[in-house]
Amino acid sequence: MIQFFHVSKLYPGGQAALADVTFDIPRGQFVFLTGASGAGKTTLLRMIFREEVPSDGQIVVNGRNVSSIPQSKIPYLRRTIGVVFQDFRLIPRKTVFENVTYLPRILGFDLKNQKRLAYQALRRVGLAHRANAFPPELSGGEQQRVAIARALINEPEILIADEPTGNLDPDLSREILRLFLEVNLRGTTVLLATHDRDMIQRVGRRVLTLDHGRLAADQMLEGTDPPDLTETREDEGEPRPEAGSQAARDEDPEREPWREPEAAEPLAGRGDGAGEDAPP
Amino acid sequence: MSFLQALLYFFREALVNLLRSWKVGLLAVLTITVSLLVGGAFLLMSRNLAASVGQWQKEMRVVIYLRPDTGADELRRLAAEAGRPAWVAAVEPVTAEAARDRFTEIFPTLSDLVEGWEDEPLPASLEIRLGDFEPATLETWLAGWRRRPEVSMVDDDREWLRQVATAVAVVRGVGLALGAGLLAAAIFTIMSVIRLTAYLHHEEISIMRLVGATEFYIRGPFYAEGLLQGLLGGGLASAGLYGAYQLLHARSPGSLFTTVLAGTFLSWREIAFLILLGGGAGLLGAVASLRRESL
Repeated sequence: MIQFFHVSKLYPGGQAALADVTFDIPRGQFVFLTGASGAGKTTLLRMIFREEVPSDGQIVVNGRNVSSIPQSKIPYLRRTIGVVFQDFRLIPRKTVFENVTYLPRILGFDLKNQKRLAYQALRRVGLAHRANAFPPELSGGEQQRVAIARALINEPEILIADEPTGNLDPDLSREILRLFLEVNLRGTTVLLATHDRDMIQRVGRRVLTLDHGRLAADQMLEGTDPPDLTETREDEGEPRPEAGSQAARDEDPEREPWREPEAAEPLAGRGDGAGEDAPP
Repeated sequence: MSFLQALLYFFREALVNLLRSWKVGLLAVLTITVSLLVGGAFLLMSRNLAASVGQWQKEMRVVIYLRPDTGADELRRLAAEAGRPAWVAAVEPVTAEAARDRFTEIFPTLSDLVEGWEDEPLPASLEIRLGDFEPATLETWLAGWRRRPEVSMVDDDREWLRQVATAVAVVRGVGLALGAGLLAAAIFTIMSVIRLTAYLHHEEISIMRLVGATEFYIRGPFYAEGLLQGLLGGGLASAGLYGAYQLLHARSPGSLFTTVLAGTFLSWREIAFLILLGGGAGLLGAVASLRRESL
């Protein structure tokens, strides 16, 4: 799903943000990306949705070689990736509903469908009742949940989060983390960057550790105190797909509009994995 | 999203933006209003002046003064000859007696000047009204009359009309230059306003990019905003011009300025041109301000 092949990033002045990073994240996996501040976590995440371009190496995301994707195709790549930031990055002058439905709106969904999608996404994060509020009226935890709802509205195949709990208290952090784990249960590949080692130890899962731009470790951890995902939320009663399943995403026939029309097939013509333009 | 849906989205976003930051938007609208108001005023004046000149040209007379000894038969013969060209609308032969009577009638207090002469003091003449003529043909024709022994003088309005036509061209040129200068200033203002708006929404634009909006959807609302500002400016300028026109006619209905320079208002086509010019300027300003590096 996400493949890095000997990726390096040099900033002007010769400073290396990433050096020879290689890893492969299969579809449906939950992965923590950790490391000290300045280790290269944010740079690595930004490369996945082509906010940054590698100086060397290749990146393949869902069969597309991101390193060589034309500028005009980048929006279509980003529509398949949900991104959540530490600082939420919501548009303050737009309501929660408008923030969450920005992508459906520009894709021409009518208001009825926008509302349906917004309700579904907001209900998943427990904020369906705050659709008409403006972001500044919400708490930090609520704003982060709105950002997650925005990232989830198109049922992305990949969810990337850069320190999503960095600005939140421990209780809210746990709640947000639980949301990501639930999203992963529905089949979305999640890559979550954090420097909170305690959280990683508690939850477990695969952990990629960066150190000065190098991939220092790639390990599977058993969680010491994983959250109980069987607790009920606002979406109680809905059957949960099995972890890693495509069912939840595939069952929605309106998922296709997120895709770039001519590139609905992976660039390389392979349904899963690297494309022809990807390195061997 | 269809193109129509996209346009609707652009204009809805642009309207919301204009309403939310109306003070900055108003500056751009007023700048373009002033420039188009000035340009429109000159357009109004030049079109009316040109219409007046056209009318005067239609009413242009040529008077051929004959020698004092021209008899009635010769006058009739010359009148018939003068009426031959197709572009001569009418020829009125005026005998020396008729000229004297007309003078007395028009200037009764000066009638002593033309009374008591042994010979007629005023010459007989041919008063010629012209139809649609080629200036060069007329020139040649008049030169022929000037050379004839029966003719003492040929008088026509062309020199005066030429001066008026020059004045029209000057008014038009000044209006064009002033209007273009002010329009350039308006475009610059709109560029600044749109750039400022884009800067204010920089964070929002980066979020749009993040969630997968194409450049078309990011820039569209800004283009629509520039276009709306320009159209609004053009509309206000037209309305302002019409208000001034009505006020002028109400205050001084018969003055030379009113009749010659503002006799009739702009046609619908010219009004549409003014408004579209505003819209075009607004769009140009928006496009120019949103080059790649500015977003």
